[in-house]
Amino acid sequence: MFTDFFYVLKEKGLSVSMTEWITFMEALNKNLADSSLDRLYYLGRMILVKTESDFDKYDLAFMEYFKNIKHQDEVPAEIMKFLDKEGMEPDRQNIELYSYEQKRDMNETKRVFRERVTEQNTEHNGGNYWIGTSGGSAFGHTGRNKGGIRVGGKSGMRSAFQVNGERKYVDFRHDKTLDIRQFQVAFRKLRQFSSRIDAAKTELDLDKTIDSTCNNGGYLQLEFEKPRKNTVKLLLLFDCGGTMYPFMELCNSLFQAVYKANHFKDVKTYYFHNCIYSKLYKTAECEYGDWVDMEEIFRMTDKDYKVIIVGDAQMAPEELFDVNGNYRGPNDGKSGYEWNQIFSKKYKKIIWLNPRRHQGLSSSLAWMEAEDTLAQIYNMYPLTVDGLKEGITKLMAPK
Amino acid sequence: MNKQEMKFTGSKTYVASEELMTAVDVAMALEKPLLIKGEPGTGKTMLAEAISDALGKKLYIWNIKSTTKAQDGLYVYDTIQRLYDSQFGEEGVDDIARYIKLGKLGEAFKDEEQVILLIDEIDKADLEFPNDLLWELDKMEFYIHETKETIRAKHRPIVIITSNAEKELPDAFLRRCIFHYISFPERDEMDEIVRVHFENLDENLLKYAMDTFYWIRSIKEVRKKPSTSELIDWLQALMLGGIDPETIGEKIPYLGVLVKKDEDLEIVKKRRI
Repeated sequence: MFTDFFYVLKEKGLSVSMTEWITFMEALNKNLADSSLDRLYYLGRMILVKTESDFDKYDLAFMEYFKNIKHQDEVPAEIMKFLDKEGMEPDRQNIELYSYEQKRDMNETKRVFRERVTEQNTEHNGGNYWIGTSGGSAFGHTGRNKGGIRVGGKSGMRSAFQVNGERKYVDFRHDKTLDIRQFQVAFRKLRQFSSRIDAAKTELDLDKTIDSTCNNGGYLQLEFEKPRKNTVKLLLLFDCGGTMYPFMELCNSLFQAVYKANHFKDVKTYYFHNCIYSKLYKTAECEYGDWVDMEEIFRMTDKDYKVIIVGDAQMAPEELFDVNGNYRGPNDGKSGYEWNQIFSKKYKKIIWLNPRRHQGLSSSLAWMEAEDTLAQIYNMYPLTVDGLKEGITKLMAPK
Repeated sequence: MNKQEMKFTGSKTYVASEELMTAVDVAMALEKPLLIKGEPGTGKTMLAEAISDALGKKLYIWNIKSTTKAQDGLYVYDTIQRLYDSQFGEEGVDDIARYIKLGKLGEAFKDEEQVILLIDEIDKADLEFPNDLLWELDKMEFYIHETKETIRAKHRPIVIITSNAEKELPDAFLRRCIFHYISFPERDEMDEIVRVHFENLDENLLKYAMDTFYWIRSIKEVRKKPSTSELIDWLQALMLGGIDPETIGEKIPYLGVLVKKDEDLEIVKKRRI
């Protein structure tokens, strides 16, 4: 049943496993969907999707697969439930007062409706008899009839189509640019990978020692464990000003997330404008003279620092390639390109997060030249949850 | 027990959405753990209590901390007590079973009736933690090596697991769960939730308080958005303080109850003026 749905889900980028699919089939066999499209929608989602960031993909897949379902296949059970529901007094009154030209009791309306559902097999818009839109019959929506039974349409039942038509989970999507909480979750990964460090077993494990000693019949047996400290040291470089203005809030979130994480052994932050040259600024204002020499930074940090550069890599080609390309400070005899080369060779792990990453654009565009060149020097990722995750995986990957 | 009785429909103190009730039903019918995720203060932990109330079943709560290990939930072998006892020549030292203490999972398995087991805030523990429980939650049994005994659930417990999404849970674990995400309540849902907590609530007070509450939540710059539990505390404070409802929006009395961070307080105060 619904095997094609499985492939539609895959197509939308959901990784549904066989285990989950079989569970879903089992649920259907147990009739947990209750022949209701609404319940089917939730049932599928709760079994097949395990994170709210994928809800949107599921909605799209569900919409695509079930959009062609015929009305009579699913409406009756839903409608009957709707009519049978307690606390529907106003509607009941409406039905009694207005339905179908003359006064009619609810059971009669229901009976007629049932009849229609079995008779009807096409779509109806206008007209006075069938379930459809814009007509005078008591069934359907957007019609002249003031009461009757609304089938679909606005403010009627909350049908599954409406629910997913709203795409209300679109905000949770991972490929959307992210906020601080999501940044924090992503940065936790930097600890995740570092909690089991590459070190000798040097710490006495008291619990294990006691266990082993007891099991050893009281003869002391020492047990050692690796120290579980986070050794990740971070060097953060932010591009500030100019084309980065639109991303200030985003960069600020990233900055906050790093500082709140406080599980790193060390974090150093410096700033640059457009391109890295011989000096890095101490503050985001990038004021003339308020800087540190690159040499000094190289002295203070070793090659094990993980480097994250945040910038949009937007600049004129001469800013990158000309030995006098730095229009706000000194170049010290080397072009930005050379400085980037030197910098990239100093550290083992560097990633570049770009809030404006253009992928698949021709490098023959003048303003793409710098970005393309830098993307060849550094591993460049878009500044999104997925991008950051990918980048962090890169930072933590063994050489 | 027949199907009718096993249906969960919310309880007197807990307002459950239809979606959530479906999820609970499905998890029970399929005998899978129900994983609940959502913003803090959306009532994840309370859900288990509500189900336990509604179904009249005993509730075991296993609170997870960063140091919790899967083994703790099964059983603990108290080697230190045994060593201690042996030094003083206590009787029964050779009986290992005396030093095996069952954890929450073990207790839930051993119970004579079907119970509800809440594994609260599973994401607090080590990343491998959920994987270590796969077998136990699948088969509902575990083996005690020291006594060569197998503990098997007499009645499969209804397992509810909550997570604050601090850490990603492993895929193998997720595949076995029924997943439900509690989104932050819309205003009308919140109305209902609040009424469950207060019997005689002044309509005016509620209206102005809710306006302010959702206004603060809508400010993008506020980092730690106030949640349901903070709203309830705040309403309580407003009532006790005998605040004139009309002034709530302007003055926002007891703002510190709603907003806890200094930066956020600044932002709210600035916006108000």
